[in-house]
Amino acid sequence: MNNLKSRIAKEKRFKAYGIISITTALTLLTILFISIFSQGYTAFQETRIQLPVYFDQEILDPNKTNDWNKIKKANFNGLVKQSIRNLFPEVSGRSNKRKLYKIISSSAEYQIRNIVNNDLSIIGSKQNIWVLADDDVDMLIKGNINRNLPENERRIDDQELMWIEYLESENLIKKVFNKTLFTSGDSSESEQSGILVALLGSLYALLITLVLSFPIGIATAVYLEEFAPKDNKFVDFIEVNINNLAAVPSIIFGLLGLAIFLNFFEMPRSAPLVGGMVLSLMTLPRIIIPARAALKSVPPSIREGALGLGASNVQAVFNHVLPIATPGMLTGTIIGMAQALGESAPLLIIGMVAFIVDIPQGFTDPATTLPVQIFLWADTPERGFVERTAAVIMVLLIFLVLMNSLAIYLRKKFEKNIT
Amino acid sequence: MFDNEELLKETKSQALNSETVGNIHVDDPRIIAKNINVFYGDKPAINNASIDIGKNEVLAMIGPSGCGKSTFLRCLNRMNDTIDTCRVEGELFLDNENILDKKTDVVSLRAKVGMVFQKPNPFPKSIYDNVAYGPKIHGMAKNKIELDEIVFKSLDKAGLFEEVKDRLDAPGTSISGGQQQRLCIARTIAVSPEVILMDEPCSALDPIATAKIEELIYDLKKNFTIVIVTHAMQQAARVSQRTAYFHLGNLVEVGPTSKIFTTPQHKLTESYITGRFG
Repeated sequence: MNNLKSRIAKEKRFKAYGIISITTALTLLTILFISIFSQGYTAFQETRIQLPVYFDQEILDPNKTNDWNKIKKANFNGLVKQSIRNLFPEVSGRSNKRKLYKIISSSAEYQIRNIVNNDLSIIGSKQNIWVLADDDVDMLIKGNINRNLPENERRIDDQELMWIEYLESENLIKKVFNKTLFTSGDSSESEQSGILVALLGSLYALLITLVLSFPIGIATAVYLEEFAPKDNKFVDFIEVNINNLAAVPSIIFGLLGLAIFLNFFEMPRSAPLVGGMVLSLMTLPRIIIPARAALKSVPPSIREGALGLGASNVQAVFNHVLPIATPGMLTGTIIGMAQALGESAPLLIIGMVAFIVDIPQGFTDPATTLPVQIFLWADTPERGFVERTAAVIMVLLIFLVLMNSLAIYLRKKFEKNIT
Repeated sequence: MFDNEELLKETKSQALNSETVGNIHVDDPRIIAKNINVFYGDKPAINNASIDIGKNEVLAMIGPSGCGKSTFLRCLNRMNDTIDTCRVEGELFLDNENILDKKTDVVSLRAKVGMVFQKPNPFPKSIYDNVAYGPKIHGMAKNKIELDEIVFKSLDKAGLFEEVKDRLDAPGTSISGGQQQRLCIARTIAVSPEVILMDEPCSALDPIATAKIEELIYDLKKNFTIVIVTHAMQQAARVSQRTAYFHLGNLVEVGPTSKIFTTPQHKLTESYITGRFG
């Protein structure tokens, strides 16, 4: 009796431990997500200010050439400044005016230039244009700067606050979806910076990684598991080394890439091509090991059945063993790729940590990747970059969740076919 | 296992010295095994076994666990090649060709000598594809119609066609254990072998499924040479014409089944038949 009681108590205790650890893990995860999301969700909106722009013929095209090559050299900056002055005609004095100009992002000039480029006939007319607000204004509108603080403790002084409140009362300022975040590269002005370079860099690097490590990894696993001679010293040596490689810190692979790909083969620095190659070195053992486990788990009776029918070794492997091992191999590959997507250390070494504004056009153009972009922006103190850092983390997490869901889906799908 | 120490000692000494008792030869042999020795590493598994296997006969191989009967069976289609440490010596003629020769094409040998395993092992594919796989890899059918014919005929010969004709697309693993084993037999028949090896084909099945397989073996005997390894002596008595008794790697006695089970000549055979060890 006593024995039974203590046994049941033991079981209950063990269950409780399990539930406690799961709850702890989930709580911590929730805290992480809440902190990231609460900081980052505002980054998906940006603040715009409506500017009444008079496309002055005198400023843009005094000689009426209607030739873009001449017009593009016009003083667009002056045009923007004039428009801001038109909005607040009462502001006078140099320093006040300079302060006034700063509520608009410096990108407004280029935005207006593009508008003129698209439609030259706009010259001479008056248009209301929504231009990007400066990051400090953006932060104030989003509530990241507290208006009730004393003036000397906030980045927006009382006069600027008055202007912004005037714009708000006239409905000349609004928050819209932040397209800039997804369509531009890095910038020193947080309101103009985006993650497109990092997104494309990650995509290119992952493509290279997949193309290199998937076929090589699977072929290695199949050879070692199905065709390699057993009890061979050399094969054992290779196996031990593959297992060791999986445990090598990723930054070492970065150093290897630097020494071999960059210094010896003189491949381009900061390029997704080299990044992908380094990542595939790192991913290879992470594909090979689960792929071998998947092949090993195929019941030998299937192989024997095929051989007994007169199938050759190759036929038995490719017609019967591989299809059964596919879900396991794919899961391993996708999880390896997800790890590669989240990797930053080896990429820092080969120079993918750079301030890159131009969108990469191919595999050899300089780029960063999402985790490196997080690293870069996390380093900057400006409030605008803090929310953008959290936003990149969210984008990266979404990709990771998507990839892992795909892995689970594929496994379920193929398993259904087998059993 | 053994009733007493004395018997153990006796059988050991007898097993080591014994020549095969009974008549190992038949008038019309399909397979002739001469002085077969098998080793796993350095450990001998079969000791100088010689036996003829006739056309259209069912040869049952019986013996206690680990006696080498499965190993011998696997020599007949060179399945032992898949075990790295296994070494086979001797001569084994199938239709006057030494199949232990290194030059023998294992693929075509295994098409001639099919095998059914202890545990039903259908491929995780449809019932149709399970049977069609063999003919496909050996290029036995020129088109879909011929392939259909082979598949249907094989399923029919295995007594399975009526049961599965409505669900040929269902996975081969979805049918019952006995049906799976008959599917494996159909799969083997489909490549039209001359010999079918069966390694304890009923050990994983219930008595009703076993009865069906035994009936099937009885029918198949008309067209094929069948070698069956079994643990159930009644099964050997029911399905076979000749029986070979293995003991600790020695082929102890060969003879007509009726004789082996009624008047065994060797003392070891007698002990096994009467259930003194198993």
